[in-house]
Amino acid sequence: MSVLHDEAQRAITEETRRVLAARMDLKRQLELLDSVGEWDEAFWQTAVEQGWTALAVPEEYGGLGLGLIELGLVAQEAGRAIAGAPFLTGGHGTVRALLATDDAAARAHWLPRLAAGEIRCAFAMPQGGRAFQADASVTFTEGRLNGTLSGVVGALAADIAVSCVSGETGSALVLFELADVDRRPIASFDNGRLFADLVLADTPATLLAQGEKADAIAMEAIAQMAVLAAHEQVGGAEALMFAARDYALTRKAFGQPIGAFQSVKHRIAELYGLVEIARANCFHAATREGEADFLEAAACARLTATEAYDTAARDAVQIHGGAGVTWDGGLHLHMRRARSLAIELGHALLWEDLLATELTGVMP
Amino acid sequence: MIALDEWQERARQWLASLEVEFGRDARAGLSQDEDLAVGRRYMAAKYAAGFSGITIPTEFGGQGLTPLHKVVFDTLEAAAAMPMGYFGVSTAMPLPLLIRYCQDKAWARERVVAALKGEEIWCQLFSEPAAGSDLAGLRTRAEQGDAGWTINGQKLWTTFAQYADYGIMIARSDPAVPKHKGLTFFWVDMKAPGVTVRPFRLANGDIQCNEVFFDDVAVADSQRFGEVGAGFRVAMETLMIERYAASDADGFGPSLAAFIELMRGLDLGGRPLLKDGRVRSAIARNHALRTGLDAIRRRAMLAMEAGMEPGPEGALNKLFSVRSRQKLSELALDLQGAAGLSYTEGGYTKADWGSSWMGAPTMRQAGGADEMLLNTIAEKILGLPQDHRPDKGVPFNAIPA
Repeated sequence: MSVLHDEAQRAITEETRRVLAARMDLKRQLELLDSVGEWDEAFWQTAVEQGWTALAVPEEYGGLGLGLIELGLVAQEAGRAIAGAPFLTGGHGTVRALLATDDAAARAHWLPRLAAGEIRCAFAMPQGGRAFQADASVTFTEGRLNGTLSGVVGALAADIAVSCVSGETGSALVLFELADVDRRPIASFDNGRLFADLVLADTPATLLAQGEKADAIAMEAIAQMAVLAAHEQVGGAEALMFAARDYALTRKAFGQPIGAFQSVKHRIAELYGLVEIARANCFHAATREGEADFLEAAACARLTATEAYDTAARDAVQIHGGAGVTWDGGLHLHMRRARSLAIELGHALLWEDLLATELTGVMP
Repeated sequence: MIALDEWQERARQWLASLEVEFGRDARAGLSQDEDLAVGRRYMAAKYAAGFSGITIPTEFGGQGLTPLHKVVFDTLEAAAAMPMGYFGVSTAMPLPLLIRYCQDKAWARERVVAALKGEEIWCQLFSEPAAGSDLAGLRTRAEQGDAGWTINGQKLWTTFAQYADYGIMIARSDPAVPKHKGLTFFWVDMKAPGVTVRPFRLANGDIQCNEVFFDDVAVADSQRFGEVGAGFRVAMETLMIERYAASDADGFGPSLAAFIELMRGLDLGGRPLLKDGRVRSAIARNHALRTGLDAIRRRAMLAMEAGMEPGPEGALNKLFSVRSRQKLSELALDLQGAAGLSYTEGGYTKADWGSSWMGAPTMRQAGGADEMLLNTIAEKILGLPQDHRPDKGVPFNAIPA
């Protein structure tokens, strides 16, 4: 597969951008910040209508049989529009996990529904310093889950969840329904992400894999989701870079556009560099799906995309001056999203360590 | 035309066969003059093997192939550390200009072939004491008389002028018009009366750069490239010729793999440095950056192969890779402690951390300082305005000094 996009892939980018731009609603996005448990259902409807939920699901399960490249392009546009639903990423992680298991019944049951967008799925990773390991505080015994999964993105509106927890013989990759689960909402700086703690008390769950296989599947799914999130981060970072550029062209001070001052224009040029380097890593990682160096490529995409979005959020707000910190101006939506995306799939130190281990063979 | 993969394989095999005679080990301990002599032999061998003047038309002694063939070969040649540095400027910009502008085509062909074989060397007389990034601010004068032109002034930073037979140069022919409009482009004979070349030593010990003085140097009107007053445009053309140059995500410094191997043998208070979070962070960050630059380069190559114009993001490589090289080289030296103190001049920057570190500032200035690259990105790619330029539209001789 090539990192040069073909016509169909370019069409995905253009169509996604057009659809999302037409439906973007800044006022609604700002409202979502003020309430816990509300979310951008319109985006999800759009995603389902446009077939984005089906993109990377194999055709035999009702999907379109495309892959990470195409879904990544959608994610990049979603990031540009600060699109408000986390289920594309979590859904994809779940699809990957299901495809990697031996459980044909689970695949046949869930994949067509995920492709059709009939159900929404959250992928619960352990938070803090153990994001890539099975959550030891949650146990799976005799088909039941007990414990608390913390800070699960999408948890307040998901129908099912997947997680890697502590099983009877090592790790257990499990899928469970959320209808009867006690969800404790987290009041957050980015409430549209629907963060919650899931308090599990004898919650019935399906075992998808166990032991080392469960860990391997979970890591692969997390890497896939990280590549998607990186695309989203790049889209957001690029939107901020252009916002800064546009503002620097129109805002005048001392008799000239502020974009004529090197302190401003160089900062925007540096952002361009960060965005393009991260984008190149994203496109590269998307083509390495299934290859031995996929984890390494995913880590590169994740690290550079997080750096790009965070730096863009800091610098674009700074270049906007006072206009960057008003509520109605909305730049803080990106600043918030940069933070939630940086946390959700494991923070930068975890990815640095993972990449360093891949490259050196030495554990931290 | 030869297929790209076949070309690559042929180049790889040919370069490998020359390793023993021309490689880094073969040249260890040579003086610069001795090394240059080896370089001339290498250039002759390269010409005979059909790898010289890759994009130059066959009727002028080149190979008539595509920029992509050239990038492929240059990348392999740089990795093989062949002694081609003395001829880099010589064979890059002057030759296409000779072909385009020189009226005497037979003479042009002779010069092109001699330069490709390493028998003659050309230099590029652009920068001056008061004109570097602001090239159009140059002060060397070209005055037209009945018998041709007379050149007076000083050039600076002229790479390998001490070995040069000829040079391309830009000079001010009309100081009474705005600075970009009063320049004219010439080729000059470096052995002509009145030309004085004075090499000087750079901070890292290299003796590559020169001051070149012109005292009443006579230049025929037939040595002019382009119209009188069109010199700046011709100079910009020369800079565009090399737009698809070979790039290196390591900034022509040591690779990340070399850094990791160096760290593998070191510890901090008995704890392996490869377990130290700060070292791991440096490895991960630099690797992720360089992987991105590499992906940009590969995408550009694919675009060129597909007959498309590569994206403007190719301009990022020098800016980001050399900064990465500079800081990683500092870290590599520091973490060796006392062993990091030893330094030998003239080391190969891709293999020697000290040389990589000492040479990095030059890389950040040569061929476009970081600040100019950022200006270019901001203005040409992002559409941001130029800086305030008080000299704009003002006749050159009316600009306050």
